[in-house]
Amino acid sequence: MSVTLLAVIASMGLLSYLVLSTTVAPAFDNLEYASAEKNIVRVENAIQNDLQNLSAIVGDWAPWDDAHAFARGENPGFPKSNLDLPTMDNLAVDLLTIYDVDGKVLWCHLLRGGQKADYESLGILNSDNPQSAALIYHTKLDSRVEGLVQTALGPMQLSSQPIITSNKTGPIAGTMLMGRFFNAETKAALEERTEVSLTWHVLGDSALDAALEEEIVSATPHSFTYSVTDREVHAFGVLSDLYGKPMMILQANTPRQISALGNKTVDGALLFLLGAGLVVAVVTWFLLRRIIVLPLERLANHITGIRESGDLSLRLNESRGDELGALASEFDKMTLEVHDARRQLLDQSFKAGKADTAAEVLHNIRNAMTPLINGIDRLSKNFRFASGLRVQQATEELANAACQADRRDKLLQYIASAFSHIQKTSEDAINDLEVASRQARQVEAILSDQERYANVAPVIENLELQAIVEEAALVIPHKDQPGVVVDVEEGLDHFYVRAHRVGLVQVLGNLILNAYESIERAKCDSGTIRVTASHEIIDGEAMVRLTVSDSGSGFAEDVRNNMFQRGFSSKEGHQRGLGLHWCANSLSNMGGRIAAESKGPGLGAAFHVLLPAGGVGRRADGPRASEKTLARQSSPAGFRAGDAAADDIKEGLPSEYATG
Amino acid sequence: MQQDECIRVLIADDDQHILECYRTAFGDREVDESTQTLSTLEAELFESPTDSLARRRFDVVACSQGRDAISLAAEATRTGKPFDVVIHDVRKPPGIDGVEAGSRIRQLDPEVEIVFVTGFSDVTMSELARRVPPPVKLHYFNKPLSFMQLAESVADMVRAG
Repeated sequence: MSVTLLAVIASMGLLSYLVLSTTVAPAFDNLEYASAEKNIVRVENAIQNDLQNLSAIVGDWAPWDDAHAFARGENPGFPKSNLDLPTMDNLAVDLLTIYDVDGKVLWCHLLRGGQKADYESLGILNSDNPQSAALIYHTKLDSRVEGLVQTALGPMQLSSQPIITSNKTGPIAGTMLMGRFFNAETKAALEERTEVSLTWHVLGDSALDAALEEEIVSATPHSFTYSVTDREVHAFGVLSDLYGKPMMILQANTPRQISALGNKTVDGALLFLLGAGLVVAVVTWFLLRRIIVLPLERLANHITGIRESGDLSLRLNESRGDELGALASEFDKMTLEVHDARRQLLDQSFKAGKADTAAEVLHNIRNAMTPLINGIDRLSKNFRFASGLRVQQATEELANAACQADRRDKLLQYIASAFSHIQKTSEDAINDLEVASRQARQVEAILSDQERYANVAPVIENLELQAIVEEAALVIPHKDQPGVVVDVEEGLDHFYVRAHRVGLVQVLGNLILNAYESIERAKCDSGTIRVTASHEIIDGEAMVRLTVSDSGSGFAEDVRNNMFQRGFSSKEGHQRGLGLHWCANSLSNMGGRIAAESKGPGLGAAFHVLLPAGGVGRRADGPRASEKTLARQSSPAGFRAGDAAADDIKEGLPSEYATG
Repeated sequence: MQQDECIRVLIADDDQHILECYRTAFGDREVDESTQTLSTLEAELFESPTDSLARRRFDVVACSQGRDAISLAAEATRTGKPFDVVIHDVRKPPGIDGVEAGSRIRQLDPEVEIVFVTGFSDVTMSELARRVPPPVKLHYFNKPLSFMQLAESVADMVRAG
């Protein structure tokens, strides 16, 4: 059972692992990819916001009468009063350029690393650069150009708007251009604002694998490319330049906290399930063992006990109210029925065996005796005939000289024939005697054969005395009539003996019948037959003493010495019982003994039967009455019990206990 | 049957010694010449009656099995020489038992006297009478018994019948 439960737990753990690893863990991975995607979107939005912020600043400066007048050459002091370095620092821009309508640079400041730099070094804002025209020339009042541009000094956000009057009317006097470098500071600011670890790669100069770079660039809009390491998920996005050409790859680095949490969740769930399964298994094992296994073990042991001992009187006596209790109860009932059926079968077999044996013996002996009787019959007839022959008369006539010659011849012939007949009769007699002898030996052989079968041990059972005594007491002819009372000691149902049931019933029936007839012979109006039992230990063996005592005619000492001999009877006329000799033989075959005692004629008698004690089944109706009864019954007057009785047997007192 | 005719007896018993006893008691053995001479001389010299030893009264047919007995009874009936008496053992292993054989012989010959002789039978008389009727032609003897006395009884029952 334990191995089965462990197998169930292992199977449950494996199944749980498979379910969790195929459903829960991928769900966490998807959450992690979604988080990475949000991160890259957040960065892109932040960059877009920065660009819009830059455009807002330009949109604040370009429509200004002072700037408009400066662009038209009418306010030369404008830069000095407004476009100094602190202003650029306040605006957080690295480039500020004012063009006139012809694309000529009227004023320009480029800061790189906090120092002024030559704006020509950017390499992209020359008026003759066709790609710069969109930034330098505006034809509409609301024109607005912004975007990323890859400069010689690095990527830069640029925003350009036409310089118009403060009330946003024309004419367009020039162009105001502002820009910010995409540098480490920008990256740090973005990471701080978005709380995303960020890496960017300039196309053509990235540290990315070429295939991955190609995959990222060729991805459709609003789709994202990922790469996964043990620690991070990298989500990639592409930044295009002012002209719509891919320029940079943004890489949002998302730590794999979610999948780690997922793995922890899966591991925790597995541990919980395994722990819970183990607890459930232990509890189940305990309950199964207590509710099912142990009762089944008791039932199995009970069945084994019955099989090994053959004792069908054993009972489980389970008091449970569940199915196993019902099973045990039904098994007890079945055992009881089998016990009764076996007892009936044994009884019937015993009687049938006795009847068959008797019939066979009768048939064989009578058949064997028939030739014997007929041989003797014929012998008798032949000799009777021979004795009737008148040989003497014929001899006397022959001695008489007056006998006629022809009669003399016939007499001589008669005498010769008579002797011939006598000789033949003698020969027949020899044959008949041989037949008689042979048939006598055949009878002896039949009897010897019976003697051999008589030594076959009877079937020994564990017997409750109460039932045996009640059955034996039925032998009394008028048991229910007043006068003779059979007093069976209370508690006899706690005594068990190992004996042959039918034989013991016959022995006890014989003793009770003897007691009944003894009371009859005493010519008393009333009498008592008392049956008692006690436990004794004799030669280390547990025995039960059963005593049948009566208030009948009793017997003298010389009768006691002969009463167990073959053919003995103290009864006059017809004998109803089997005889004490037979009783002693039967008890001896069961490992028992019998003894008799009486204080004398007219003083009643007691017959004591010793039998091996039987085992008491697991009965619900109380313990066996042993020591209590022994103390009460062990020393009847004038009779020694226990080891003293055994000593008597050892010393060979012939009629103390007869063993057949 | 006339007074001087032999009584035809069919005897069935599985024990050969018992069959021999039957034959002896029913005078089936040939009376030897010396006994015949002796009996004749005695009658002539002393005017005494002829002894039964020298007189043969029974014609005995013996067999050991019930089926043989049925066949012999059928043959005797068919040839017009039926048996007067059939003597059967009740138990005759291994064939059919005597009661069954008696029942079939009764069907063949309603007039025959049937005698059961057995050491032991677990068949009651009423059962016998039911299976081998009529009771007046049914007889029962327990072994051991004197077959000479049985022979006299058989002769009486034939005379009475």
